[in-house]
Amino acid sequence: MTTPTSTLEKQAYKIGTARMGLWLFILSDSFVFAALLVSRFYLLGDKRPHLEQGLGLIVTSVLLISSFFMNRAEVQISQGNRKGFITSTLVTMLLGIGFLVGVVGFEWALAPFGPADGVEGAIFYMMTGMHAFHVFTGVVFLFIILRNGIKGRYSPQKHWAVEAAANYWHFVDLVWILFYPALYLIGTV
Amino acid sequence: METKKTSELRRGVLVFLALAVLTAVEYIIGTNEAPTIFLWVIAILKGALVLVYFMHITRLSGSEGGHE
Repeated sequence: MTTPTSTLEKQAYKIGTARMGLWLFILSDSFVFAALLVSRFYLLGDKRPHLEQGLGLIVTSVLLISSFFMNRAEVQISQGNRKGFITSTLVTMLLGIGFLVGVVGFEWALAPFGPADGVEGAIFYMMTGMHAFHVFTGVVFLFIILRNGIKGRYSPQKHWAVEAAANYWHFVDLVWILFYPALYLIGTV
Repeated sequence: METKKTSELRRGVLVFLALAVLTAVEYIIGTNEAPTIFLWVIAILKGALVLVYFMHITRLSGSEGGHE
């Protein structure tokens, strides 16, 4: 017979291994971004691409605010506030799309160089492109948890997918925290 | 329970405010060509805040936030 204690132990084990798996994935993914960051300094050194400073600050702020709402969504579902969770997740998603529009729609169009215009273009488009791809997959992940949240599939006791989506989203934010100064602020034009 | 709810939401607001202030300082330093080391220190600080308070890295070693 399964006792309540053994059920709790199983549950703790299950969540523990799921967390470990997610963090191992995040660690392996971070190597890609670390390689890009190292490439930027190896190839460009103390020179930075000529980019729109104002736009860089705006997209950075948008991603930062999205992380705040993502955290809020996770806290709200863990407290049983489904309506709050849905609103916060929706806001996070919209801000993520806003970030994508800012980087891919505006920054790429305004940059005075293309992907094939030497080292500067290669580094800039690879770094922002790889990051934007992760933001896009994060938005897809958010859409999935939003849909499941609307269907009432999460509760304070059962919301691992929300925690996973939130961690992935914050990871994407963390990467941009390092990419932003590397692309926009460090070095001279 | 109500206190815990409020404190978690308040912590999120405080972390966000800290990140916003650090980003503003970072922008000012970066656009005024101050030493690069300051930008790295700020980026690492911001990253640590996200890792600890938003990503809850400490949950890996404990049973905090237990759910399915």
